[in-house]
Order: sequence, then structure tokens, then C-alpha cells
Amino acid sequence: MKPRLNKTVAAVATSALLLMAVPAVGIASTSGASAKPTYTIGYQGPLSGGNQQLGLNMVNAVQLAINQANASGKLPFKLKLATYDDQGDPTIAPTQAQAAIANKNVVAIVGPAFSGATAASEPFYHKYHLATVSPSATNPALATNHWNNFFRVVADDSVQGPADANYVVQKLNKTKVYVVNDGTSYGSGVAQAFAAQATKDHATVTPATVPGTSQCQNGTASSTEYTAAAAQVVANGATALFYGGYYCDLGLFLGQLQSAGYTGIVMSDDGALSPALIQNTTPASAANGVYLTCACASSTNKSFNRAYQGLAHFSAANATYAPESYDATNAIIAAMKKLHKITRAGIVAQLHRLSMKGMTKTIRFLPNGNIAGTAIYVNQVKNGKIVQLGLE
Amino acid sequence: MWEGPGFSPALPFLITLSTDRSRGAQLGAFGHYLTGHFATLRLEFWALFVGGLANGVLYGMVAVGYTLVYGVLRLINFAHSEIFMSGGFAGYFVMKAMVGNSVPSGFASVSFIVIGILVGAFVGAFMATLVERVAYRPLRRRHAPALAYLISAIGASYFLYNMAGKEFGRVPISMPQPYINHPIFHIFNAPVQMYYVIILIAGAVMFLTLDRIVAKTKLGRSIRAVAQDAETASLMGVNIDRTIVLTFIVGGALGGAAGFLFGMGTGVSNTMGFVPALKAFTAAVLGGIGNLRGAMIGGFLLGVVESLSVVFVQAAYMDVVAFGILVAVLLFRPTGILGERLGRAA
Repeated sequence: MKPRLNKTVAAVATSALLLMAVPAVGIASTSGASAKPTYTIGYQGPLSGGNQQLGLNMVNAVQLAINQANASGKLPFKLKLATYDDQGDPTIAPTQAQAAIANKNVVAIVGPAFSGATAASEPFYHKYHLATVSPSATNPALATNHWNNFFRVVADDSVQGPADANYVVQKLNKTKVYVVNDGTSYGSGVAQAFAAQATKDHATVTPATVPGTSQCQNGTASSTEYTAAAAQVVANGATALFYGGYYCDLGLFLGQLQSAGYTGIVMSDDGALSPALIQNTTPASAANGVYLTCACASSTNKSFNRAYQGLAHFSAANATYAPESYDATNAIIAAMKKLHKITRAGIVAQLHRLSMKGMTKTIRFLPNGNIAGTAIYVNQVKNGKIVQLGLE
Repeated sequence: MWEGPGFSPALPFLITLSTDRSRGAQLGAFGHYLTGHFATLRLEFWALFVGGLANGVLYGMVAVGYTLVYGVLRLINFAHSEIFMSGGFAGYFVMKAMVGNSVPSGFASVSFIVIGILVGAFVGAFMATLVERVAYRPLRRRHAPALAYLISAIGASYFLYNMAGKEFGRVPISMPQPYINHPIFHIFNAPVQMYYVIILIAGAVMFLTLDRIVAKTKLGRSIRAVAQDAETASLMGVNIDRTIVLTFIVGGALGGAAGFLFGMGTGVSNTMGFVPALKAFTAAVLGGIGNLRGAMIGGFLLGVVESLSVVFVQAAYMDVVAFGILVAVLLFRPTGILGERLGRAA
């Protein structure tokens, strides 16, 4: 009984302290001219639940950007971080957004992380003119709601397919393209966008649906279908194959493509961008040479990686969306620096005017909040490792 | 890729159709559709045929397990998919230990593949015996109704594949390759890969051996006797329990070996048995459930037909075609192609 009692006491004490701390910070920010005022940047994303790792990837990058800005000594204010855990869940997101809004010291938000959570939160943020800069919400529809406080530093889903098509047809000069999708809404969406743009680029396009299999998690088809599908690709004489879908089924398909004697290039989307692709491709060598594209960047900046590892205690190499979160935070800080009197609405206005060189790309926003430029990164599997080649 | 002199002499009419475009125009839009598809068919025919036949051999090997057990017990062993899976995983662990990151060739390749098949077969046979002992024998002792067997079989299947998912993870695992896959020879310009050659040879050896065992040996005679009339067979001195266990062992060995051969091409996972085993069941029904040669022929046919169907419909419809065949067989010829029971057929 005793330890439990102690825990309860501790919990009560902690909450009491927290209750006291919140107004204390509020007072500090408005206190006399001699001390620097303190402002809070909020982070909204999944910090618990099944997608926790993604949230941890991001929040560490946000903290790093804030620490570096504070340490630079150039800021006329001090920054701190407040986190709002929405678990990536659209039903939890609105209460977290309202909590952030209620904290008067929060001047801008990095996030929300997920598209569904963003859609659920933005009506609140918009009402209170609180700028949100998402590192990872990629649903195209988010930019069509006339939320002038909404920004994202990542390209939306409608950019990837066409950018991939231009890369294959114009940069790699492949004019006979086989476009396969896995029948999921994600895979067929990307594949259709790819096929449409490749046709516009005057490539010969053969589309096909090869549904996900029961060997993987999003399908019920039989994996023997890949034998036939691969034979068709080879018979078609295509020199490039685009696969819209996830790594697990692509891995099965790659093995059969090699068996069938396919020698052209293979490209797929960020659903397939995972080291697991190499682990579940039989033989593993069949994954070599595959192009994988993503709106996300993996950091090749050594000093960032070192600092990130020191703070997060895990490597930045596989921390998806950490570089984007770092850029999103720095965009907010850059907007704040331009303001004499920092207000929520002032930051929104400054973000619309912002143009800065971020770590992943140039950060400049379109009027609807989307990032300017195509901003799709291309990676390639080389000797069993995924290597980033650069922007498409 | 396969343009040029190579064509199938078996399909001369297709070639005429495909080269004579003007006739397609005369036939109108539908004719165009046909000529277009037949042209594709000529190009792809042999590639799809070889791939389909290899899949068909695997279906046949699994179908034999269904048909043998059905012959002696009048029971569909729905846990057979997990016997297939266990053979795949056994082969995977052996390949991981023996092959690792090396790239074997020549004699090493052959011996690794033979060892893989034997280990797959052994573990398959072991699992089949285990399933018989745990899931079926207690029911048989109690003369349980047929439905109890079915539930027991499905339970065993769920137990085994969820157990495998817990132990080995739920995503496919790549199997280290004991050989280098490359085209061995060409049939009418269609490359025939090493992988398919391995399956075809292994399948031929196993089918011939099994056929001989069932036709000639004492074990085969007792299997046939039990299949024909279990009670009379026991009166004639056939040990029924022993015969049933041996039937499970033979069926499980083929299923496990097929699991290894399948896993060598597509990797292993806890759900790898689900669809292939359903297809194999279809093949067994197609050939005539309870009929050994029927199961093999049903497997070949199903594999080839579903593979060739993708010329006319998308690969997405492949499973629709395969299970459409099952429904059609059940509707129009429930006894299947060979349409006899094990007892009389072999």
C-alpha cells in the first residue's frame, strides 16, 4: 500500500505545481523591460499511442530548434516548448487545440502532425488566429479551406505522383511505363496521378491493378498473382515500372519481377520507403536500384544529426519528419524575429511573407499555406541501403 | 521483348489473327478487342504458362494432402495451410543458417535445396501428425459429428498461424537464396527461370514417388483399403490408426516441401498458407476430392488457367477466376474431373 500512497501524493503534488506554473509563466512574459519576455511554441502531434515514434521524431527536432535559437543569444525574447498530445486522433485533436489556444503564452504551433487531426483542429486555430505550421500533414484538401493560419513545410499528396512521373520520363528518359497500384485508396491515388502526368509527358503508359495480398497487412489476394503480373510487365516491354502502394507487397512483387527477367527501373512512393522493404524482398538483391520518393527528407546535415542524437538519444537517420519539424520551428522563429510586438495574428501575417533557406528546402508559402515548389525527395536502394539522392 | 521468330506452333490461328490487323478492322470493335488480346496472348503465353505451371505444381502438392486426408477420414483438413506455412518457416531457418549472406552455386546449391525440401517435408509431416493427434484423434475416439472436426480444424489453423505471427512477426521475411536465379533456357523466347525448373523437377519427383507408393506398396494398399471401406479394412487386419497417421505424414510432407519451395520464391510469413491452401483445396475439388491423380491434375490446371486468365482480365481478377472455377465445378460436376474416390482411382 505504501508505495501506491506515495505515488498518489506525488501525482497530486505535481499537478499542483503545474497549476501554479502556468500563470507564473504568463506573468513572466509580460513583466518589466529588463528581463527578456518568454514565448511558447506549441507542438501538437502523437506523443502516445501507436504513432508515438513519429511524434517523438518531431518533438525532439522542435526542441532542438528552440534550444539553438535560445543559445544563439540573438533573440530579443526567450522561447519554450509546450506539447499537446493528440495521439494523431481526430477525435482527441480538438480538445488539445483548445488547450493550446487557452494558453495565452502560446504564439504559434508546430503541427498538427496528422491530416485528420489537422482537419479537426484547424477550425479552432483559425478562429483564434493561431498560426500552425505542419511538418507532415499531406492531405491536399487541407489547403482548400481558406484557413489563412494554416501552413505546411511538406508537399501535399497531389504533388508526388506528377513529380515522380516527370522524374521517370524526363530525367531518366523512360518512355514506356507500366503503372501498377495495389488497390488501396493511397496506392491507386498516387498511381493515377503518376499515370496522368506520364501520359502528358508523352510516355506510353500501361496501368494495372495488382491488389495487396494476404501475406501483407492490407490485402486478401494471393501472392501467386505477382508471377503473372511480372510476366505481363516483361511482355509489355516497359523500361520503367511505377508501383503505388506499400513496401510489403512491393517486396513480393520485386522478387517475381527479377524471376521474370525484368531489367527496367522500378519506382515507388513513400508507402514503400522503409528499410523493411529490403528485409522482405526475396531475394534481397531484387530491391537494389529501386527508386523511392517522399515529400519527406532524411537529414544529411551532419551537425544537425549530431545535435539531434545528443538531444533525442536516437539517430536522426530514420527519424522521419524530424528535418521538416526543425524547419517548421525555424520558420516560426524567423517570423517572430521580424515582429516588434509579437502577437498571434502578427506571426500569421509574417509567415505569409516569409522566404528563408531551411534545411530541407527553401521555405516560402503559397497563399493557401502550401509550400512553394515541388519539394519531393528521391531515394534509391543501393547495396541493401536506402540512400537519399536529393530533390527531384 | 518476345517479338520475332519465336511463336507457338500450337497457336497458329492466334498468330494469323494477330498479324492480320485488317481483319480485326473488318470484324469491328469487338474483333479489334479480340485481335488485340490474342496478340498479347501470343507474346505472353509461354511466360504465363511456365509461371502458372510452377504455381500449379505447388497447388498440386498441397492438394494431395487435402485429398489423401479426405480419402481416409472424409474430412477437409483446414489446418493444412499451416502445415504448408510450417514447412516454409523450417526451410527459412535452415537456409538462414546454411546460406546466410553467401551466394552458393553448383553442387552446394543443389544440396542446399534438397536439404531445404527434406527439412520442410519433415517439419510438415511432424506438424501434420501433431494436428492429427491433438485436433482429430480425440474427436475420432468419441465418434464426434463431422461439424466438430471442422471447428477443430479451423481452431488449429487459427492457433498455429497466430502463434507463428507472435513468434516470427507478421510481415513477410525474405528467404536467403540457395541458388542464383537466372533463365536456364527459353521456350519460344519466353525465359524459363531456375526457380521454375527447381519446382518442376521437385514436383515431378514427388508426384511420381507418391503415385508409386500409393499404387504399389503395402502402405498404399492400406490407405486405399481404408479409403474404400474403413470397417472392412480393419476386419482384414489393416491398422486404421496407423494408416491414418501415415496418411497425415505423407500429405504433411508434401505440403511442407511445397511450403519451402513457395517461400524460396516469395518469402515466408505467418499468413503465407492461407490463400495458396484455399487454391489447393479448389484444385483438389477440381480434380475430384479423394482422387490422388485428380488432385495433381487439378493443381496444374488451376495454376495454368488462372495465370493465363490475366491476359483477358487484370491480375486483380486472378483469384476471382480461380474461385469462380471452384463454384462452377461444384455446380456442374461436383465429382470433379476424374470424379472418383481414392479407393478406386489409384
